Amino acid sequence: MSENLEKLLRVLKSSEADAWEVTETREKGWEFYLIRHALDQNRVKELTSFQVKVYRKTEEIMGSAGAPIPPDATETEMARRIAELCQEASYVRNPVYRLNTPEKETDAVPESGSPVDLKAISRDFLQTVAALPETDTEDLNSCEIFVSEIRRRFLNSEGIDVTAVYPRSMTEAVVNARRDGQEIELYRMYHSGTCDREQLTRDLTETMRYGRDKLTARPTPALEKADVILSTDAACEVYDYFITRLSAAAIYRGISNWKMGDQAAPETMTLRTVPQLPNSSRNAAYDSEGARIRERMLLDGGKVVGLWGNRQFSQYLGLTDSFIASNFVIEGGKASAEEIRRGDYLEIVEFSDFQVDAVTGDIAGEIRLGYLHRGNETVSVSGGSVSGNMSELIPKMAFSAESRQYDCMRIPAVTRLNGATVTGAV
Amino acid sequence: MKAPFSAYLTALAPGLKQLIQLLRQKYDYVSVLSTDSVGFQATISQRAKAVSHETMTTERGTVVRVCRNGLYSEAAFTGFDPDRAEEAFGRITEELEEQFSLLETLQVSPYETAALSDESRTIFAEMETERLPEKEDLAELVSRLTEISDRGVKEGAEQGLRVIDCMTRASSTHICKMFLTEHQDLRQSYVYSEGVIALLAAGEERTEMAHTSLSGRCGPELFDRMAEKLSEAIRIGKDLISAERVVPGEYDVITAPEVTGLIAHEAFGHGVEMDMFVKGRALGAEYIGKRVGSDLVTMHEGALCAEDVTSYAFDDEGIPAGDVTEIKNGILKTGICDALSALRLGVKPTGNGKRENFAHKVYTRMTNTVFDSGDSTLEEMIAGISRGYLLEGMQSGMEDPKHWGIQCIIDRGYEIADGKLTGKVVSPLVMTGYVPDLLGSVSMVSRDREIFGSGGCGKGHKEWVKVADGGPYLKAKVRLG
Repeated sequence: MSENLEKLLRVLKSSEADAWEVTETREKGWEFYLIRHALDQNRVKELTSFQVKVYRKTEEIMGSAGAPIPPDATETEMARRIAELCQEASYVRNPVYRLNTPEKETDAVPESGSPVDLKAISRDFLQTVAALPETDTEDLNSCEIFVSEIRRRFLNSEGIDVTAVYPRSMTEAVVNARRDGQEIELYRMYHSGTCDREQLTRDLTETMRYGRDKLTARPTPALEKADVILSTDAACEVYDYFITRLSAAAIYRGISNWKMGDQAAPETMTLRTVPQLPNSSRNAAYDSEGARIRERMLLDGGKVVGLWGNRQFSQYLGLTDSFIASNFVIEGGKASAEEIRRGDYLEIVEFSDFQVDAVTGDIAGEIRLGYLHRGNETVSVSGGSVSGNMSELIPKMAFSAESRQYDCMRIPAVTRLNGATVTGAV
Repeated sequence: MKAPFSAYLTALAPGLKQLIQLLRQKYDYVSVLSTDSVGFQATISQRAKAVSHETMTTERGTVVRVCRNGLYSEAAFTGFDPDRAEEAFGRITEELEEQFSLLETLQVSPYETAALSDESRTIFAEMETERLPEKEDLAELVSRLTEISDRGVKEGAEQGLRVIDCMTRASSTHICKMFLTEHQDLRQSYVYSEGVIALLAAGEERTEMAHTSLSGRCGPELFDRMAEKLSEAIRIGKDLISAERVVPGEYDVITAPEVTGLIAHEAFGHGVEMDMFVKGRALGAEYIGKRVGSDLVTMHEGALCAEDVTSYAFDDEGIPAGDVTEIKNGILKTGICDALSALRLGVKPTGNGKRENFAHKVYTRMTNTVFDSGDSTLEEMIAGISRGYLLEGMQSGMEDPKHWGIQCIIDRGYEIADGKLTGKVVSPLVMTGYVPDLLGSVSMVSRDREIFGSGGCGKGHKEWVKVADGGPYLKAKVRLG
């Protein structure tokens, strides 16, 4: 235990706090910024932070106040800050709830994960980017690579003391395509644990193909109502709508009106939380409040069968055993991707920023590249927008049996939203 | 009163100056940015209350920038001990050498750039505020926010609106930053604050969230005006609940100042961030000196051109704040630029080099982005539309500097028919189009203008910083879906 953490715990234990939580996060990071294949900048970072939350409670009321404590604060500074927080917590009057408690000793995993080799992961990313199958007309404009080791230790007054060590990476890539003096770009951002060379190469190669097609795209016609297919990471927004509305916070706050047993999704859809997904950037054994992350079914046959969320809002809803989920799997499609793609449809593979509003269910996004399939003809289109509302789209929604993983979500590879509104570019 | 500069940073300065001297023995250029920004955020609703001393911009840490043989490198860290500068020097150089060895093995060559100039400069800016966030009476503030939340539910019901919850949030941050080089010593201290009222309202078949906000480069005294925004939030909630869908198509519209600001930000704000010129990612580079809007369009950008949440004295590279005329009477004049990009492009930096926080890289970023006012009145503008909408409230936008496409998601459209507002509301609206077409269609500009600073801005999908934008009412032609 670091000297500063020891000091902080000493201060907390002698304070007026009725309960407390401390998260110590240590991040070591390496970053590389490339313009074309030349190095714009390299960066290193070594950061430590302490997040403290103190609680004051009576039988019915629980108040809390939180603050970052600088890692170089003196014990006197820590004591002053904790005293202020204790006072502030008494102004914040929430219904009482319990903090998480330690698991049985036999189940506990005090430390999960292993040290991360920043140099090896960085090498993988740099070599992958250098070896992309670029051509005279499609290539990499720029790329940013972020690789970190996160070491997160959580302690609370109830006796929890758990540490998670995990890798977290992010890559931002911009791809250019050009033809007859015209150049376009496509943007990609990938989150992952470490570098998956094969997936990164495959996806950026696909992006370069989209770039070629965008150069020959026609303006999107005004289709009014159309069947829209999503087969890229934009589809995560659709499934995130379900995930958000199944959170205890959304239900308690009235953002979501779903309750157990409601038919919230198409009849075959299942949605579950899982503690780990291959190479997810969010593979930690415990959540940020010290609860073990587990597998839990949230939607079964499209019906609400479970919720996820932090202990405060979960307990307000009467759930005693909850956690903040970080990885999700959505399944249940009965048709193949090929079958989903039958008939006329508009497959949109590039948006400027596709959004699904968890409160209203409104969907919206400007189309940067789509493929309009009518009969035997397929043309690439660009411009205009797609809009609609999930309450109207869910009953007619279809999704494939095949799946695809985007960082912390494994979702159907192909999702079809029948009857969306498509505003043309002209 | 003046917002006092951080005693913590003052104590760090001698050690950091020693570190700069040590690093100068190995590197052609060395600068240090240290930050110590504190604040609070209080969030109060009917269902949950929270107080935290973390805002979007609270931070404490140091970043060192060095240049050797044309390559720029940075090291960011927390917990600098001013009595142990040599230890920090050892850690920084060792870690960077480890990276250099990997880059050498992989034969990655640098994007060669000259060393930044280090002309002598001193700034000590303590800006005015009435109150400081670190001294604010949070008990009184929580009580005031609770009262606003309670009134939101009660007054909404009195006006026939079923309010599920009324959330109020007040946050205030005291920014302290110190930028040092061998010949420069820049220190600034200022306070900004922002308040939000978000009203969650339910209709028979839908739930809507109505937002209002206020912001300023000022202390928590801003929240004394928060209750005045409640009636606006209730009015918006009622409008959203009764709203219909827009029939997709091209319309004559009037953009309210917050929508004008969103257009300024997405259309030309991002489009002339000149680090994108270095990468060949912005069409704007080819349009300098050319027409991009109607004669009525003039746009400014800079920390000096308004007083709001990001009106600083110098940027995160030690460049003094500026005021750039980006568009003058429809002609694109210039862009905004961070120091490194300026060096690469052979232009002067404009004071727009910003970091999300000390641990992040510098990019060219916006500060205050605003359209200039014109000489029409809103009434004249409405009278000039036979079929269209008055667009109010912004949800989000997305830039497209390479192709000048625009996506703005607008909260509400108020129907105008035969020169009069009909009372019919449509929501939400996706406004898309080609930027020069949109700006070229601006045919009337109002006399008054407003600036909004309660949001954040990302570069791509990351690097979140505070920005403010706004302007007058604009009459234009756009495509709505």
